[in-house]
Amino acid sequence: MIGTLIEKELKSIIQSPKFAATFGVCAVLILLSLFIGIQEYRVSVAQYDAARELVNQQLGEVENPWMLGHQVFRRPDPMQIFVSGVTYDIGRSSNIARGTDIKIEQSPYSIDPVFAVFRYLDFAFIVHVVLSLLAIVFTYDSVNGERENGTLKLVLSNSVPRGHYLFSKLVGSWIGLTVPILLSILIGALLLLIYRVPMQTIEWIKLLALVGVSVLYYSFFITAGLFVSSLTRHSSDSFLILLILWVCLVLIVPRGATMAAEQLVSVPSIADLQSQKDRYVMEAGWEQQREVKKIMPWQKITSSMSSEESAEWWKVNRPRFTEIQDSLGEIRKANIAEFNRQLNEGRSNLQAEQERLAFRLSRFSPASTYKLVAMNLCGTNTSMKARYEEKMYQYREAFRIYQDAEIESWQKRWAEVRKAGGVFKNEPLDASGMPRFEPPVENVSQVFQASIFDFGLLSIYTILAFGGAFLAFVRYDVR
Amino acid sequence: MFKIILVKELREILGTTKFALTFGICSFLIILAFYVGANNYRTSQRQYETSIAENLHQMEGLTWWANIDHRLFLPPQPLASLVSGVSNDVGRTIRIKVYYNELIPRGTSFNENPIFAVFRFLDLEFIFAVVLSLFAILFGYDAINGEKERGTLRLAFSNSIPRDQYILGKLFGSYIALVVPLMIPILIGCLLLPILGVPMDANSWLRLGLIIVLGFLYIGVFLTLSVFVSAMTKRSASSFLMLIIVWIFAVLIIPRSAVLFAARASNVPSISEIDYEKGAGQKQINAERNEASLKWWKDTESLSKTNPEQFREVQREFFRQLTIKTEKKMGEMHARINENRENRALERQRMALSLARISPTASFSIAASELASTSLSLRTAYLASAKDYRPIFDEFLPSFQDERVDIPGGIDPTKLPVFQFEPPTTRAAIAASIPDFGLLILFNIVWFAGAFVAFLRYDVR
Repeated sequence: MIGTLIEKELKSIIQSPKFAATFGVCAVLILLSLFIGIQEYRVSVAQYDAARELVNQQLGEVENPWMLGHQVFRRPDPMQIFVSGVTYDIGRSSNIARGTDIKIEQSPYSIDPVFAVFRYLDFAFIVHVVLSLLAIVFTYDSVNGERENGTLKLVLSNSVPRGHYLFSKLVGSWIGLTVPILLSILIGALLLLIYRVPMQTIEWIKLLALVGVSVLYYSFFITAGLFVSSLTRHSSDSFLILLILWVCLVLIVPRGATMAAEQLVSVPSIADLQSQKDRYVMEAGWEQQREVKKIMPWQKITSSMSSEESAEWWKVNRPRFTEIQDSLGEIRKANIAEFNRQLNEGRSNLQAEQERLAFRLSRFSPASTYKLVAMNLCGTNTSMKARYEEKMYQYREAFRIYQDAEIESWQKRWAEVRKAGGVFKNEPLDASGMPRFEPPVENVSQVFQASIFDFGLLSIYTILAFGGAFLAFVRYDVR
Repeated sequence: MFKIILVKELREILGTTKFALTFGICSFLIILAFYVGANNYRTSQRQYETSIAENLHQMEGLTWWANIDHRLFLPPQPLASLVSGVSNDVGRTIRIKVYYNELIPRGTSFNENPIFAVFRFLDLEFIFAVVLSLFAILFGYDAINGEKERGTLRLAFSNSIPRDQYILGKLFGSYIALVVPLMIPILIGCLLLPILGVPMDANSWLRLGLIIVLGFLYIGVFLTLSVFVSAMTKRSASSFLMLIIVWIFAVLIIPRSAVLFAARASNVPSISEIDYEKGAGQKQINAERNEASLKWWKDTESLSKTNPEQFREVQREFFRQLTIKTEKKMGEMHARINENRENRALERQRMALSLARISPTASFSIAASELASTSLSLRTAYLASAKDYRPIFDEFLPSFQDERVDIPGGIDPTKLPVFQFEPPTTRAAIAASIPDFGLLILFNIVWFAGAFVAFLRYDVR
């Protein structure tokens, strides 16, 4: 019986203009989004390679090891083709140099703000906004529309269990929407192969998980459509309710949640933090000079001397003075680093708290749950910046050790040449032994573990909506 | 007759659940947008003032002007909280050094707080562009074919009602029913702005007024389009399906894909290419400087021995001129390279936005952000203001070390010339938005005429 019902449902869906329109829209949009994504990814890779080449070239010309500071860049990820997330919003590079803080700056949108005007079009956006709307269009009249046509009374005058009928409606609509989507995705996957996007096994697994979660997401809207259709008598009413529900869930709740979190948890701006850091650097410098004068009051001692005596005094005492300056300088640098770390940590904690609150509130909507899980799967979530920062801090430390060794060897060479009475000639350094920055690699099991909660939440929303639809339909007056 | 039809249409719409629901949601969203926008503006203003104070504070105690680390901050725009535009994607801090440096806006809001980039803001522009356009479709998709389905159209035309007056009544009735009630939450929102401390001068009110007029014109486009489609189809389900697809493309797809396609089609050098070019230029200028100074040392070797006093004098003047010359060359080189990229980027921007204007949503968004001073011209204006500040700053702190004397007791940072950001003038903003006003009016006329003609031929049976 259920097979016949599903077949009937599928036939009526396939023959409807709704199906043709959905097929067309899905195919065009999914392929368009993937095509744009691939093009943008290729542009990003070209820019990334050019930037790295420039850095390598500049490093090859450095003659002085103190000047080895350079830029490191965020590497484009093939998964950004499907879910751009915050890829274009966060900075693309940071300076790595002695005594400078890690600061990821120059986001692609800030470099070319024209792309920020209407922002990005990716696969996740199509699923998040367009497919959810099409899912509603598919099912808003699935029950009450049949009642309006009189076919519901006719069908249920036979011995058709209501549960079977509703289930066939769900399966029919689901297949009707899923087939065009999956076909479009398959063609899209061919595009990935044609353009030779470097997708490794893990990326294909992530893509598969993304497709799975996307199907789950619009399944919620299909069941929600069935539920509201089973609650109302007229299709115009269910359409109105569903459209308003869609507006609230997809457009308003996610934004509203972020805005509420912004009002509840305030995070200081980076400019404020930078000024505090600058102030501390200056104060630490003065403090160092005061300490030096306390240990070795050179000003007091030399003020009463003649210039010859002063020069003689400096000749004797300079090594000790330099030693004091150096040792205090090390303490100052450590204090500055600690102060910066504390400030950054304080801000990060507040930001994390704000983010947690915003995400918790926004998860009331399946749309934001989907967006969060999609970004998480593709590694383009809000923690991307923190991941890069952490890796850059690690790299800076490795670089510092390398630079110290280079400075030491340079000084040794310089001293040897001077000792031999020669003139030291600067030559480009051999930077081939310099550590290279490796972008952070996410732990796949952690990525999937972090996604499980949202996956579960989406399943619960869908089950609840179907449960509601079932209860409503059991009591539905078919006349 | 027209008046009777209009009143009937108004009564019909105002009495429906559809109206109550959409009006309730819109009112809530509009007031929320104004309230949160005003609060955000106050927070941004407070942060801006703190940043300025902190910037001066961190210079206190310095005894050498050359050591200052000065920053120019972008002040928040009062209307940015209602139409955010690209304001969150434009850097808000420019560092200016005593020695020549390139002026680059850094530190965008979305880079600092990526969470807001994920879901973005619920501002007035979004409410008009996305929510109200969808509600306009909801109001108009069954305006004609819905009446036919219910049989009321045949009934109405069994009386001697002229078709033109009927369709005019329908169109104006639906428009008034949608727009006039919206004035209530908008007026409440406008009242909230001064109450919550947003400094609104006459120009800001004028700009806000124009944004609202623009919004109403935009809603009109979707309403007239819906009535047109309704008059072209027999069943409301068909018109609804068609309109939803049109809405998806007009609001969500065309603006985005047009910009992405058009922008990538044009050849604008990437930032890495620009950096490379600048690096090469810089290297050459530095080499020239080194060569000149080496030559000078050689030429004045005898003078340093014969007349050390005069030598020092000549040396100071030579290096002063050399520094000025080098910095000038560096500035010119950067300006030339940047200008080349900016011109191409401007060309690309023009092409991309022109193509996007196929969609009325793009027209509305572009014009609204122009009026709110949050369009792409915000970055240009910020950079231009910083460039205007450069000579003032240079005059205050000439770029030569001898004049950066040690000041006993420390410098007084409050003496630094104050940076003034000059946003595009109201006249310029209005002028920039005129083509979009024109386009939206044109869209309205075309769909209105389409609806009118389609209904004159409509089979009412």
